[in-house]
Amino acid sequence: MSNKKFSRRSLLTGATAAVGGVAAFAGPWKHNRAYAQASDKPIRIGITSDASGQYANSGASDRRGMLMAIDEANAKGGVLGRKIEFQHLDTETTAATGSRVAERLITREECGFLVGAVSSGVANAISQVAQRYGVIYLNTNSSSPTESGQNCHRVKFVWDGNGTNFAKAAVKNSIDAYGKKWMLLTNDYGWGHDTAAATKKLLDQYGGEVVEEILVPQGTRDFSAALLKIQQANPDVVAAAVGGDDQVAMRQQVAQLGMGSKPAWINNQQDWPDVYGLPVDNLFGVFGTTWYYGLDLPGVKEFVERYQAAYPDTAMRVPGNVFYNGYMATRELLAAIERADSTNNIAVIKQLEGHKMSAESRMQHHDAWIDPDTHQVQQTVYLATANTEMGDNKDDMFKVLTQSAPEEVRDEGAAAACKLESYDETPSFDA
Amino acid sequence: MYSLIPHIVNGLTLGLLFALIALGFTLIVGVMEVINLAHGAFFALGAYFALATIGGSWFAGTEFGIWWSSLSPGARYASGLIFGPLCAAGAGMILELCLRPTYGKAPLYGLLLTFGAALVIEELIRLVWGTGEQSLSVPQAINGAFLMGGLIFSKYKFYAAAFSILAIFLVWLFLEKTPYGAIIKAGSHDSEMVRALGFDLGKLRLAVFAFGAALAGLAGVIMAPIWGLRPHIGIDVVIPAFLIIVVGGVGSFWGAVAAAMLVGLAVGITGAYAAAWSMLSMYILLILVVGFRARGLFGRKSALEN
Repeated sequence: MSNKKFSRRSLLTGATAAVGGVAAFAGPWKHNRAYAQASDKPIRIGITSDASGQYANSGASDRRGMLMAIDEANAKGGVLGRKIEFQHLDTETTAATGSRVAERLITREECGFLVGAVSSGVANAISQVAQRYGVIYLNTNSSSPTESGQNCHRVKFVWDGNGTNFAKAAVKNSIDAYGKKWMLLTNDYGWGHDTAAATKKLLDQYGGEVVEEILVPQGTRDFSAALLKIQQANPDVVAAAVGGDDQVAMRQQVAQLGMGSKPAWINNQQDWPDVYGLPVDNLFGVFGTTWYYGLDLPGVKEFVERYQAAYPDTAMRVPGNVFYNGYMATRELLAAIERADSTNNIAVIKQLEGHKMSAESRMQHHDAWIDPDTHQVQQTVYLATANTEMGDNKDDMFKVLTQSAPEEVRDEGAAAACKLESYDETPSFDA
Repeated sequence: MYSLIPHIVNGLTLGLLFALIALGFTLIVGVMEVINLAHGAFFALGAYFALATIGGSWFAGTEFGIWWSSLSPGARYASGLIFGPLCAAGAGMILELCLRPTYGKAPLYGLLLTFGAALVIEELIRLVWGTGEQSLSVPQAINGAFLMGGLIFSKYKFYAAAFSILAIFLVWLFLEKTPYGAIIKAGSHDSEMVRALGFDLGKLRLAVFAFGAALAGLAGVIMAPIWGLRPHIGIDVVIPAFLIIVVGGVGSFWGAVAAAMLVGLAVGITGAYAAAWSMLSMYILLILVVGFRARGLFGRKSALEN
């Protein structure tokens, strides 16, 4: 038996060496991670969508879009001959959970790519973690202008239109049509504030006036005080930036009061899962969207059929904008890996930056591209209202009023605010 | 400056709705000394069963379904108002039976069990009714709006507030004027003495849990047309209900009602003048009340503590 004893110093030195050794191979902070080199190893995608909280319903739709893209890729033999696997963790519509989930998906589940978000706060939290590890992150559905502005990152790509895009499409026309006296009803968090700021700026530009802004905390279920206040102020237009379950409650209460037509309501963006199945009188006002299943464009019908074949049991019989963004983002990520002929994150980022997508492939009216300066997809923005003549087809809820080309609604503010990290500052690895 | 009066009226109606939400919760905490975190799930369950009853979706296509859909919306709504809470009561009874092994143990066991039950019920709702938003329709007579003082108010909200007053009155009548109520109150004060006097404590607890769950279900049916209906709506309910019984004093019936009115006024008035603080206002109220009076507004020291 040896008499040799472990000193505290030797124990510490040994432990440090052991941790360092493990980190050298497994540490995601290290450049050129080694664990994923084998070509038969599946490509693992971490799905960071909400399954609970304010955006649970939209999160489910977002997730279905991603899964359909993954299933289609696997049916064609995978990407680079590798199967695509996914791991989903609930981000709970909470930024802190988003950070924790991202950390876990990267470090423990060994996901080389992250996809998914509806809440901008959650997306921002995820992207900070992703940037630290160099993991490409697709923000599929959150719409705060800051996501491609001051909170942009080299690894993050933003697929939805943002508050400024939709405001640009709506504000000038609405001042002309309804009047200059506007009231803002704003969800009291990042997306709401950023969208309201974009609306105010455009109102200044086009001669409108903000009489008051009502901040609505997240989780608000009773809007009666705000609606009384709107009546007392008697504005021409109410510009609402209220999302998720809050918006559903607001819509029901506005409809109950019969306030849907006066004042005029401009909803910055209307996510399909938030209104699907609601009575048509709840769908008042004008609102923005990036896609609608009723667009008379090539490929839309087949896309809807694929959705219905993939999800025959879902209560939502047709896909909406949230599903569409989840699908398109994932499909384009996998296509970028194919084009890069590599899962190296920097190579894939370079394939995504500036990538042009034809109108036909995206089933929109105009070609789209990924802005290399902000990483936001520049795309067609539609304004729509309730389809009061839907007839027997209860799914045909929207009537598309206008469509704006991407260059008409580009968010220059985001481009000025966005400072992407350099490639050298971004950790590099093969997923 | 906006007139304050409409906002006070709005706050009072909101308070009555909060009182309806908190009634079942306070009853169960008072008698069982169990913080029932599944209260929100019973709320949702009541609303969903009412939805199925009113819409007749479960027997669509059958002869009974055709007859059912020929009934007036008012009759179907009234059926939903009865059947929804009854189903919630049934679920409450099942949960009470599951809770029995936790009696006499640390409160954490009951807390965890009811929390788990809430998750299970929420998931069952997702499986049966789907994840999407649902709309619970109400008869035309209580739908729409009316003008008062030049402002538009919701008819349904005033109907809901009036219904809450009726429910509060009936529950009070039951507790104060019937022998069953006397037993329940005695049980909340000293359950061991109730057992010693020969009453079956098991049945009492089962009945109280069913009653509390039915009240939660009733609140769900009433609130769904205002808040909307989705599987996780129960989460919106538990925190205000818990806060109200703490402010009012645990186990105090009128304490819960008074606290609910205060919370309604706080939320309604801050909603008008400092909307960003409207949700926070109820927590500030909690801090103020508990800071000055730890037992809540109407909470009394138990005789057993002397």
